[in-house]
Amino acid sequence: MDGVLAQLANGFVDVLAPANLLALVVGLVLGLLVAVLPGLTLVMGVVLALPFTYSMDVTAAIILLTAMYVSGTYAGAWTSILFRVPGEPIDVPLLWDGYTMARKGHAAKALGWTLVAAGVGGLCAATVMVLLAHPVARIALTFSTPEYFAIIFFGLASVASLGGGSLANALISLFAGLLIATVGVDDTYGAHRFTFGVRILSDGIDYLVVMVGAFGLGEVFMRMEHRFKSAPLESVDTVSTQLPSLREASAIKGTFARGTLLGILIGLVPGAGATVASFLSYGIEAQYGRRRELMGSGIPEGIVAPQTAATASVGGAMIPLVTMGIPGSGATAIILGAFLLHGLQPGPQVFETSSHIVYAVFASIFVGVIGMCLIGYFAARYLVRVLEFPEVIVSAYVVMCCILGAFAARNNITDVWLIVVFGVVGYLCERFRFPIAPLVLGVILGPLAETNFMTTMISFNNDWMVFFTRPISGAIMALAIVTLVYPVLRHLRRRARLPAT
Amino acid sequence: MILGRIIPYALVGAVSGYLFFTATQIEFHRRAGTLGPDVWPKLVLALLIATCLYEIVRIVLVRGRRGGAAGVLQEMVEESEAKLGGGFVYAGARSPWTLAAGIALTALYVWVIQQLGFFLATAAYVFAFIALGGYRRWGVNAAVSLIGTTLMMFFFMKVVYVSLPLGQGPFAQFTFWLMRLMGIR
Repeated sequence: MDGVLAQLANGFVDVLAPANLLALVVGLVLGLLVAVLPGLTLVMGVVLALPFTYSMDVTAAIILLTAMYVSGTYAGAWTSILFRVPGEPIDVPLLWDGYTMARKGHAAKALGWTLVAAGVGGLCAATVMVLLAHPVARIALTFSTPEYFAIIFFGLASVASLGGGSLANALISLFAGLLIATVGVDDTYGAHRFTFGVRILSDGIDYLVVMVGAFGLGEVFMRMEHRFKSAPLESVDTVSTQLPSLREASAIKGTFARGTLLGILIGLVPGAGATVASFLSYGIEAQYGRRRELMGSGIPEGIVAPQTAATASVGGAMIPLVTMGIPGSGATAIILGAFLLHGLQPGPQVFETSSHIVYAVFASIFVGVIGMCLIGYFAARYLVRVLEFPEVIVSAYVVMCCILGAFAARNNITDVWLIVVFGVVGYLCERFRFPIAPLVLGVILGPLAETNFMTTMISFNNDWMVFFTRPISGAIMALAIVTLVYPVLRHLRRRARLPAT
Repeated sequence: MILGRIIPYALVGAVSGYLFFTATQIEFHRRAGTLGPDVWPKLVLALLIATCLYEIVRIVLVRGRRGGAAGVLQEMVEESEAKLGGGFVYAGARSPWTLAAGIALTALYVWVIQQLGFFLATAAYVFAFIALGGYRRWGVNAAVSLIGTTLMMFFFMKVVYVSLPLGQGPFAQFTFWLMRLMGIR
């Protein structure tokens, strides 16, 4: 424990170095701006920032992207509350109580609750992250390939069953992602798979290309089809933040605790993320909260529950990323990409080889949450003005950043062609209601899943039952199967109830 | 109605079937007792085909009605929105021609960037993109395109050291002139 605290203290010293501090502040502001703009999602923003970090020091690069991730879970609340425009899908639950509270003339108070919720959720999750990361990494060191495969299988199952859209569509999207990951020359046999004689496909399809195309260009194409016309903004007199008193906050401490715990747990699950955390936390508060019957009428619980969970999920999501090298969400997948681009492989060994970087990133989350709250308190009124900027101009630069990002990674024009192709794929997915997240997670986790599956088969004489007979992998596989079966059972139960109602 | 909903799954299923056939043709030296590089893609493709078939059968059986098992988040969103309203909505009507033109413009941009060089191709692309999106303040559009592209070029070439496309012939000469102007070596 003392060692962890000492390393964390060193991490704080590293964060306060001018270059890292600058990266942190830039990351926070960019994250807030991205979250405010309805045309830009958090993941898309982190994707677009990635090429700007190529020449940066690894610590500063990860700090910048992590800061964007943290603050991106917060600022979308402003537009939800003030204008009824959720900047992110994460912020949709804030429409129900946050916007209602604002309509009752308490917009400043609603913004104050959001700020406190994001601060509490973020700081508590960061503390849990620091406490859990090292023990989890030590446990992960004992894992063998069946356990790793089981964890990845669980992640893939949860992204399909927890996400939006129909389960069948999510599975199709996921399998398509896994398939894209197989394109290229196989590592073990050197066999060409689905390359069709095209030389560039022999190197495989980089997951960043799929991410940038599907998330970035796909969304721009979707908006272009609607000629970049969003609903007009409502007018607000002033944007100010009024913090709740300590007594008011302690009256709903149970909501804070539930939201934070749920956010951390959801963050830990590979494939879930801030949106699931936000909705689930609101749903639990509406079902089990002390004032559940008042939810939707503009009460603080309806703001605190989703916001604490959304920000707390960041700390949770960083744990599997850093300790096992498994990204749990779109944003952490890009952060993983940044680690790899700088020649650092996250996983249990990273605590031995590069612990100073890990703890600097951990410390930056603490500083980032505090900085985010300060910027939110003092600068929200200026940052929301970015909404007045024409969406079509923002979108033009989004496309340019997508193309530059794809080109800069390998200096290869074929990658740029590929992002246009995946942009169209992303658009088609949105248009026909196939969720994009499983596709992207499939491409990212596919190679890891295949390697661990094949190595297990070689090590255990092609006995696939090994995944179920080893205690840890068996338990995780069982959990994964429950995760997959749950939506089907839920659907059947709802259908059975229908005639009665 | 039913046909329209079946087509995407039939298409994905058919492509998967073809890829499954391709996977059976993967060439490698088989080692005794070990699985080959074709096993994993075949497994994924089999699952993909099975899911498509399941969805087609389900659509036929329920006569095109929506309502298969949904992701947990989707159900929560639907339940909450039905109760409380909200969510993001596009205000503009759908315009497939704008979309087609946008995709074509982006493809054209990628095609000409190596001939014209980054600066000229990007400035022209941004200008055309903004105009296509319905923005009609031409002066602002031109300024945004030129200033933004210049800043991007400066940042990526001078700060990040990315070698952006220079163009060919006279266009390359123009890029070199611009680089000298910006102090980029």
